[in-house]
Amino acid sequence: MTEPVAASIGTPPATTGGVLDRVEVGGTRGGPPTRRRRARPPQRNPLRAWLLLAPALLVLGGLLLLPLVRVTTMSFEDMSGLRALARGEGDFVGLDNYREVLGSRQLWLTVLPNTVVVAILCVVLTVVVGTLAALLLESLRPRTRALVTMAILTAWAVPAVTGTYIWIWIFNPGDGLVSEAAQALGLVDPGGENWFTNRYAFFAIVVINVVHHGYPFVALTVLAGLLTVPAELTEAAVLDGAGAWRRFWSVTVPLLRPVFAVVTILSTIWDFKVFTQVFLMPGGDGANREVLNLGTWSYVEAFGQIEYGIGSAIAVVLTITLLLITSVYLRTLFREGELT
Amino acid sequence: MRPARVARAVAVVVLLTFTLFPAVWMLVTAFNPAANGGQLAPSGLTLENFRFVLDEGRFDTFLTNSLAVAVGTGGGSAAIALLAAVAVARFRFRFRTSVLVMLLVVQMVPLEALVIPLFIQARGLQLLNSLIGLVVVYVAFSLPFAVWMLRGFVAAVPMEIEEAAYVDGASWSRMFFTILLPLVAPGLVATSIFAFIVAWNEFIFAYTFMSDDAKYTAAVGLRYFFGLYTTNWGAVMAGSTLITIPVMVFFVLVQRRLTAGMVAGAVRG
Repeated sequence: MTEPVAASIGTPPATTGGVLDRVEVGGTRGGPPTRRRRARPPQRNPLRAWLLLAPALLVLGGLLLLPLVRVTTMSFEDMSGLRALARGEGDFVGLDNYREVLGSRQLWLTVLPNTVVVAILCVVLTVVVGTLAALLLESLRPRTRALVTMAILTAWAVPAVTGTYIWIWIFNPGDGLVSEAAQALGLVDPGGENWFTNRYAFFAIVVINVVHHGYPFVALTVLAGLLTVPAELTEAAVLDGAGAWRRFWSVTVPLLRPVFAVVTILSTIWDFKVFTQVFLMPGGDGANREVLNLGTWSYVEAFGQIEYGIGSAIAVVLTITLLLITSVYLRTLFREGELT
Repeated sequence: MRPARVARAVAVVVLLTFTLFPAVWMLVTAFNPAANGGQLAPSGLTLENFRFVLDEGRFDTFLTNSLAVAVGTGGGSAAIALLAAVAVARFRFRFRTSVLVMLLVVQMVPLEALVIPLFIQARGLQLLNSLIGLVVVYVAFSLPFAVWMLRGFVAAVPMEIEEAAYVDGASWSRMFFTILLPLVAPGLVATSIFAFIVAWNEFIFAYTFMSDDAKYTAAVGLRYFFGLYTTNWGAVMAGSTLITIPVMVFFVLVQRRLTAGMVAGAVRG
């Protein structure tokens, strides 16, 4: 979806109650009574249906599918320089762009590790922090839980752009909070250390930023799942002498497997293509080529180097990776019967 | 029992600190009169930073642009999504399931990958540097989820009410405007707000499409401002606050409804 908050707010089943209480979260096997109501045949005027769909299909076709096709064809064209841009197309060069991208040291030594390792770290930490937060929320009394949930929502609402500037400010060399604390403790020389120029420190800050921005979705979704676990199951496990650790792994995790699958896959998709949180960091806009990931590399090649063909080829590589992950996501949804 | 309660209290404090600290730090810096307030305890309270970003920083222009784009996106997206949602929730036709699957798949397309072709398309159509061009793009981005969500709201309106209207002799369009539309109004509000937030927060496309600084949206304006006043953190955080607060208010107001709609959309036929 549409990047951070679009993603965050616009994401599937973060659930805190309300209408939700009427709908079963875990699955719909029980056959909700709402199904029955549709005894009469629904509307069967296909022409009207397509007329109603037409504006949406036009917009999606023109602004999502057509560009998707165009980025693929451009990845096979030599589109370097402003003349190609003015023409809007370039000469067909076959797989040249892909050869250049896949054969570059930049990809294998810098960009791919920056993308994959950072995504794995982000996903693991997001899911772990989110799950711990959900377990903590579940153990609270309803009123406290509502308050803490509200706080988590507030943090979730901070846009990626402003969130990134806040983290830059916190880690800013010299006068940032962390720098001052480190200097006071004598960990770094006075005058401070510039963490943004060091690749590892740079991405450590990115990971903190992404996890902070992404864990609320996991926490609220897992919490909604936890609240559907029947109390009898937990009680039975207690009677059998299972400790909290054992109960979590033997009762909660198997029951919530679909919920964990969904939050893991969605987080993977988002964290793979993280852009704003990298691009806005000092040096993240291409000035420091050590800290490029797939998304920013594609952008910098296209708009910085004026190599639209190369940029498109990188974008296609990113898209294919994500569509593969998406197909896993869809199969999970279908298996859980959440899609009709 | 005692140690467990203490441990839980500590955990809550740790979680809340991690969660709220950045936003609190933003506010503390923004309202701190010290020239470059790098201290935890502010030395007073001032609105000077806000005056500075709105005047010299031209955030008045940026915020107005963002508001125009976000309102346009909210309205356009909700209107188009409603029609599509009625089609998939109320009609049975061939390829209906394909349309639904397409709506899901399309949400997963990385928009970052579409910057290059859309930039070239928009350039060809003379839509670069135009707020309307941005609105059109954002409507497309928010549409799949908007349809998916509204579908739940439409499906929740009982079929019988519709049929009663037909029995009374109403045409389909009459039924649509007098029965369905008022009943899904809460869903429309939630959908518009969702699209509003998408547009308000978006960065890459606004940054790529807008070359004239009078047309910058607030997100792009913040980066521009940061480039000019890198060390003025009080002002940068004041600008960030101005961008964040509307989203925060909307988000907390509408979140429950959004997710409820989403879940309803996911489970109903």
